[in-house]
Formats: sequence, structure tokens, C-alpha cells
Amino acid sequence: MRIFEPHAHMFSRVTDDYERMALAGIRAVLEPAFWLGQNRTSVGTFIDYFDTILGWERFRAAQFGIHHYCTMALNPREANDDRVNDDVMAVLPRYCQKDGVLAVGEIGLDDQTAKEEKYFLAQVELAKECGLPILIHTPHRDKKKGFERIIDLVRDSGIAMEHVLLDHGNEETIKVTRDLGCYQGFSIYPFTKMDPNRMTRIVLEYGVERMIINSAADWGVSDPLMVPRTVMKLRQARVPDSDIETLVWDNPVAFFAQSGRLDTAELEWPATANLRETYEGNAVLRGQDPDQM
Amino acid sequence: MYDILPVLDPVLTDDARAWLAKARETLAEKGAAHLPILFPQLARTIGRHGLGGARVQVEDADVDLAAWRACDAAGLVLIQDANPSAAVHTDLFLHGDIEERTIALRALAFQPIGEATVDLLGEIQRTNTTAHFEAGGLDSNLVVRAVDAGGEDAGFTRADFNRFVLKMAFSDLPLERAFDGLRYASAELSHMLQDFATEREAAGRAVWTDTYRFIGRAPTEGTRARLVGGLEHGDDGTRLAAAEGVRDLGDASLTAYAKERLPREPREGIRAVLEAIGG
Repeated sequence: MRIFEPHAHMFSRVTDDYERMALAGIRAVLEPAFWLGQNRTSVGTFIDYFDTILGWERFRAAQFGIHHYCTMALNPREANDDRVNDDVMAVLPRYCQKDGVLAVGEIGLDDQTAKEEKYFLAQVELAKECGLPILIHTPHRDKKKGFERIIDLVRDSGIAMEHVLLDHGNEETIKVTRDLGCYQGFSIYPFTKMDPNRMTRIVLEYGVERMIINSAADWGVSDPLMVPRTVMKLRQARVPDSDIETLVWDNPVAFFAQSGRLDTAELEWPATANLRETYEGNAVLRGQDPDQM
Repeated sequence: MYDILPVLDPVLTDDARAWLAKARETLAEKGAAHLPILFPQLARTIGRHGLGGARVQVEDADVDLAAWRACDAAGLVLIQDANPSAAVHTDLFLHGDIEERTIALRALAFQPIGEATVDLLGEIQRTNTTAHFEAGGLDSNLVVRAVDAGGEDAGFTRADFNRFVLKMAFSDLPLERAFDGLRYASAELSHMLQDFATEREAAGRAVWTDTYRFIGRAPTEGTRARLVGGLEHGDDGTRLAAAEGVRDLGDASLTAYAKERLPREPREGIRAVLEAIGG
């Protein structure tokens, strides 16, 4: 079964992950621009990061047959940091126009401050100007209140609800969001947030309409195979393959295709991988014979 | 200034034509600072298909449009409209994606040699992305124009040119794509190419064919023996290049080797060169 992994910070993962993901059926991965584990202190480090997830990371993924896309944003954590927030906003209009950028995100709220709201709304406007959907990070602390506040802000902004993906949902938030008309994301973690068994119960109760699952794998304790692991649990629970395919392929493809930049014909096959090619002189081979890989 | 629109317009779709017209209006209103917003959209809106043009000469620029794509041509239109500073043009490359970088580099071929040319030719010397090396340095006489404007010490220098040619040899790119490149043959470059050829031979790998053409124009120690050896090589392209090298060197002591080869040379084109050697 083909899988579109719609949220993984591959910047912080190793090539073994890419290989295992490809073998587990992951055909495409979307990398949201986010925090890097510690705060940055100048806009230059954002620019280099944006260039990396648009360039090197895309190349690296293709080496393992995986199509790589990304989103661009000032994340809510660093929206609070006056050393970078305005300067990052100034470069975002350029980066939101790049090929491979399928949405504005992760935007949203984290600590739920006034500054986070200010930059969240500015980026919703940017998304509207660019005709891009938005990927929303919802708070891990005081989640229900944060969800409700984000929904109010989104409603008032006038952005089309089908252009909105509310991520990091759980059993509580689904009750709030299921009738809004937006997409809902669930980040499946090994131990926290949401796990494959809980996700299976949600699917059995609520179905798969406008629902998306992801691993949100990053530099922490996380697993980029959580989507295929969840697929296995869903099958064991006798969820029909057609519903599972809707959840892990059709829905994320439909959501991000609203950008107008997702070539669905390209997705029919793995990304072209020529392991002898380099990106700016760098390869992933480290001296190994590509014909043996 | 070259007007590329008559070549570009026939290969545009209605949507692409409308986008370009709108982009030019916006650029006229907002100025060159808006180029970084427009450039990422070029490939997906204008298209990556071939321009289908021919070789054109405009003032001192000599450019083969057959190597250009529609988005490259549209990028040139926007750059000509905006007339960006060197810093803005260079930034289009530095923070552009693969396509933007290619487009920014292609446009140099029709631009006067300036700070942007020198900076960006420096960038392509450091890249291993062949598409960017080609877009910046090949299918035009840009590199030779840059040396003309530079010289020994300033801008794009003879030393830069030598490194550029060595990179062509490393990447096995044909010299004919760097128009008029033989004009800056030098003994120093011959030395570099011959050393590289020796390394390749030690590794059992092929030597860049155009090595023979360069060293015939500017001989150094070992050139004559290498040229004579090339006349007997099993590869047609190498024999042709070696014959041309012997011809261009004009050293009477090599004429006998050309005459000796002639009766056994099966290729008509190579025979013609050998017959011309020594009058």
C-alpha cells in the first residue's frame, strides 16, 4: 500500500530511516518547517534551514525513491522570539513560492501568547495570498483550549476550511473539529500524543473522512514508521483496505494537491534515484559502491 | 539588448503568456526587489520545455538557444526588465532552488560582463551540479568574454579560466560547448591538462579528448609525445583531436608521424586533417 507521510522532520533523521520508510511503502514525505530543538538567534539560520529542506533534503529523499515536499513558516515557538520573528516573516513570501512547498506551516499556537496569535494570523493571510493550504500545529499543553482558540482565529480569517489541517489531534479534539469541514491530523508516537491502538479505535468510531495520520518524527524519541505500523493495526482490526488507503494516501494527497504544486502523476512511481549523482558535490554514499546498494 | 520574446512567445501556453505579462507589470511597479518572489514560479508556470531556438549573436555575445528552456527565456525577460544589481542577481542563485539557479545562470550569457558574472562563474566552479555548470559556463561564449574583460589579476582571470577548463575535463563536457574556448590555450593550462590525463591513464580511465586540442595550441613538456601517441589511439574522437592538435602545433618534426598514420587511417574526417599536416 502506498503511503504519503504528511509530517516528518527528516532533516533530523538518518539515511537508514529513509530506506526503511521506502521499504514500508512510504512513497512521499512532507517536511514541515519547524523548530530545531533549540532557538535560533538570527534569520540566516532560518534561511539556511529553508534552503536545506528545499534542496539537500529533497535530493537525499529521492536517493531512496521517496518524493520529498515541505511547508514553510515561522513556527509558533520562535514567533515569540524578537531576535528572529519579523525577519523570518520578511523572507517567507519568497520561500512560499518555491516548487515543492505545498502549504504554509507549521503555524499555530504553542504557549498561546499574543505574539503567537499575531504571527499566526499574518501567515494565514500569506497562505491566502499564495493560494496555499495551512498546516496548523496545535499546543501540547492546554490542548483543548488552544484548539478552540485556533478554530476561532481560523474562522475569523476567512480562509476556506478545506484549506486547513489541524494537526496533533486526539480523542478530545476530534469532538470539536469533526464538523468544521477542515482536515484533522493525528501524530502517532511510540509512547505519547497518540498511538496505533488508540488511532484504530478512532477510525472505527469516526471513519476516515478528512482524517490524516503522521509520525511527526523528529530529533526526539519518535519513529518514522508509525504510519505503516498503524496501517498494520488497522488491518488487524478488519478496517477495509480502501478506507486505510483513503487515510494514508488519498486524504493527504487531496489536501496538499490544493496547493496546485503536487504533480499526482509523479507520485505514481518512486522518485528517480541515481545514486551516482551528487547535490552541490555531496552524495549520500560515503565511498560505497552505489550498484551494491 | 537581445529581445528573446519573438523566440519565446510561440512556445508559451495562453496561461503562461498571461502570467508573464502580469509578472512584468508587477515588476514594473515593484522593481527588482520583487524578482525573488517571481523567480520560483518560472519553471512551473512557464514550463521546462525546450525553447527550440538557434545560435544567435548579439553584440559580443554568442549564445546557443537550443540549450535553453522556455523558463530560462522568461527569466531573461524579467532580468532585462528589472535590471537588478549584482547583489540581487547573485542572490537569485544563492537562495534559489535548482531551477531558479539554472535560470539565473542562463541569463548571464546575454548580460554585459560585471560583478554578477564574476561572482556566479565563481559559484559554478564550486558546484558539482552539472546542470548549473552547463547553464553558467556552456552553450555560449560567456566564459571567454569574462576572460576578455578580466585578465591576469582582476575579475574572471586566466587562472579562473584554467580551472574552468579543468572542470570541463573532469566532467567530460565537450569543449565545443564553450564557444571560442581554445583562444585562451596556454602552456600553464596544457601542463594542468596533461597532468590530469596522466592521472586518468594511471587509473585506467579515459582522457578528455579535447586535451589534445588545447595542448596543440600551447605546448609544454611532454606535449609532442602525447600528440603522437594520440594519432595511434583506438578511439576515433581521440585520433581526430590529436590530429587537430598536431596540425595546430605546426611542428615539422611531427609531420612524419602524420604521414605514417595516413595510409592506415580509416576515418575520412581524420584523413583530411592528416593530409593537411605539413602542407
